[in-house]
Amino acid sequence: MIISGSRLSKSFGHSIVLKEVNIECKAAEICGLLGVNGAGKTTLFKILLGLLTPDSGEIHCSSKGVKALGGIIEKPALYEYLSARENLKVFARIQGASSDKKDLDQYLENVGLETERKDAVRNYSTGMKQRLGIAIAMLNNPEVLILDEPFSGLDPMGIVQLRDLILDLAKNKGLAIIISSHIVEEIRLVSDRVYVINNGQIVKSGVTAEIIGQATLQHYLCAEHLKASTVLKEYQHTFLTETGALIEIGIEEMPRLMKRLAGEGIYLTSCTPRIDMYQLFRTAQ
Amino acid sequence: MKMSRNLLLLLLGTLSALAQEVDADLLKVKAKMDSVQSFEAGIIMDVDISFINMPTKEATISYQRGESVKFNSDDFILIPKRGFDFSLEEFFRHPFITVDRGIEMYQGKSYKYINIIPNSKKADYAIASLLIDTLNYRIVRSEIITKKEGAFTVNMKYDSDSAALPASMTVEFEVEEVKIPLNFMGRDTDIDRKQIRTEGKKTGQIYLQFQNYRVNNL
Amino acid sequence: MIKALLWAEAYKLMKQSRTWYAIAAVFVLELIVLISAYYQGAAVIDILLNNLKESFYFEGDLLNGNLLIYLILNSLWFNFPLILMLVISGMITDEYKDGTLQTVMLQPVQKKWFILSKYIVATVFTVLMVLVLALSAFLFSYLIFGKSDLIVFIGKLNFFNAVEAETRLILAFLNGCISMIFFSLASLTFGVIFRDTLKTWIVSVLFLIVSNLLLKFDFKWELINKLFYAKLNDTWQYFFQYEIPWNIILRNNLLLVGYIVGFSAIGVVIFNKKDIG
Repeated sequence: MIISGSRLSKSFGHSIVLKEVNIECKAAEICGLLGVNGAGKTTLFKILLGLLTPDSGEIHCSSKGVKALGGIIEKPALYEYLSARENLKVFARIQGASSDKKDLDQYLENVGLETERKDAVRNYSTGMKQRLGIAIAMLNNPEVLILDEPFSGLDPMGIVQLRDLILDLAKNKGLAIIISSHIVEEIRLVSDRVYVINNGQIVKSGVTAEIIGQATLQHYLCAEHLKASTVLKEYQHTFLTETGALIEIGIEEMPRLMKRLAGEGIYLTSCTPRIDMYQLFRTAQ
Repeated sequence: MKMSRNLLLLLLGTLSALAQEVDADLLKVKAKMDSVQSFEAGIIMDVDISFINMPTKEATISYQRGESVKFNSDDFILIPKRGFDFSLEEFFRHPFITVDRGIEMYQGKSYKYINIIPNSKKADYAIASLLIDTLNYRIVRSEIITKKEGAFTVNMKYDSDSAALPASMTVEFEVEEVKIPLNFMGRDTDIDRKQIRTEGKKTGQIYLQFQNYRVNNL
Repeated sequence: MIKALLWAEAYKLMKQSRTWYAIAAVFVLELIVLISAYYQGAAVIDILLNNLKESFYFEGDLLNGNLLIYLILNSLWFNFPLILMLVISGMITDEYKDGTLQTVMLQPVQKKWFILSKYIVATVFTVLMVLVLALSAFLFSYLIFGKSDLIVFIGKLNFFNAVEAETRLILAFLNGCISMIFFSLASLTFGVIFRDTLKTWIVSVLFLIVSNLLLKFDFKWELINKLFYAKLNDTWQYFFQYEIPWNIILRNNLLLVGYIVGFSAIGVVIFNKKDIG
């Protein structure tokens, strides 16, 4: 493991924000941290990044580089009055990284930002700021990247581009990435493993598909003549539209149902898993 | 018509007053001073007033008979209003009488002591006392009580017996202490306040040394 | 690392429009003070010389560049630190507000060097601002109003010839620099403590006002009058006593430097101890 935190706890006054949290991530792996707002995701990340001191617990990082971890907390905080390159230059110089124009341009290109823009970053979109934030986090080539809610505030195109960037950094550049979100779908699409945090405790952890699959207790199916299906009657279901029904069925049984529906000559036009949030954030039995 | 008659009377009165009551030695002093048509000199000036700190100043003085003395300096200088009446014009402008007070010792030498009392209300002084060096016909000390500008005492020292113009001069005067609201400028300390609170008249002196005289005699 | 941090702090400061607004504000202020000093100057001279008028004629112009610079010195020591404090406290409060402090702390940068570099750059900036102020004050005043004797009232009427006045005014500016550094760095420490921009501004302005009030306040105990920080902030005025009291100036400046170090140390320690998140 490149980074691991064990039995991390933190309180602010009388309020306990983290309770004995364990988390780890290895090279080329993307770990998701899933939790509702206020679950303790940001506090955990701040502790991992050294911004907060935990009341108890330990962090171990095996990276030996100048900068072990790079990260963004909540939103990329930049010097709004400086341009993208000037921001990079300031952050590069204070940590002894190369601030040559060529190297800085390379960082900008790596995150898909224009190298020619000279205006202040206050004019940038949230997505562009996120990318610049990642470029800054990537200075001095850390082996671990910690991204707190990187998708919030992005438009759909921005989300896709950022997701591709994160996947590229992990899969092609071998970074260990821990990423938090309250949007299950985003975590599902990028992470290999997931930690579910609720009320400051890790309530579940494991392979993302499995953890989310366990919480998927319903599917919304759409097909022509779905109402005519006899197979469907074996499952508890509710028609929400003429051709769409919400079926009480887990992810394991879904392929079989699809096959049986096809046998009846009913071909699905869409199949959307419905994740039961209460199930997902409930402590594993 | 009436005006010219008045002027005539005034002139006659003045002449008769001068002829009858002006000290002869004073007239000789004036005659000696009148022989100086003009002069220029450099002066070094030191001010001794309790509430003033001022460095030694340099200036030039230029005098033209019948005109008031002119000073010129690159620096700021304080020029006493009295003490530079070399040809005694101020006294002779209006009628006056002189009173001989006899001989008085001053700095180890004896001098003739006279009072000048103006006869005209127009004169801006109340009384003047002069010590006259009757050997060299020059004034060594004068004390003028003005009506509006306080009292001035001028002491003059000469380089040689023949000199008509002084080599150094001390002008003593009365001046009122500066009264300024607290902390008007600068630091406000205890010592300063005590000084500001002291009121009343103070005596000050200005020392002048003349050098490099360029004199035009008649 | 400290060199790069110093560069970064200076770079950020110079890139912020607020800094340039502050510099422009200082010039505007100086110009207004200069104009009012010119009119005030005539009244000042009139009051100062009022009692001497009876016995003396005056030769030479006291309403000249040197008096105006002296009046600028008197007027600016409240307004100028105010502007400095607003700019300098922003060096830290903006970083808290914008979250950039967090971004910096996510880099391999030591907290103590980071905050120290802010204190050093704030000091250099203050010195430069005083120099700019001094240079422009001398330039404008001498260019427009010429150079002659200076009259100052400190218990007595002190007259200084032009060259001496210039030297004393320069020394006064340099000495005033120490007071300005004190207020600048105090505002930085307030920024570290209060974090919020507005709160820090309020506290800084209050601190400046209280300091100015206490400067004029006579304490019962002489030791307080001698050692209390507020009493040390007009040490520059000692340069206009006829005999310059060098030992008092040295003592006051050493004490003030002590206060500066103390205030800065408090800021550095608090910043180091407090979590950023």
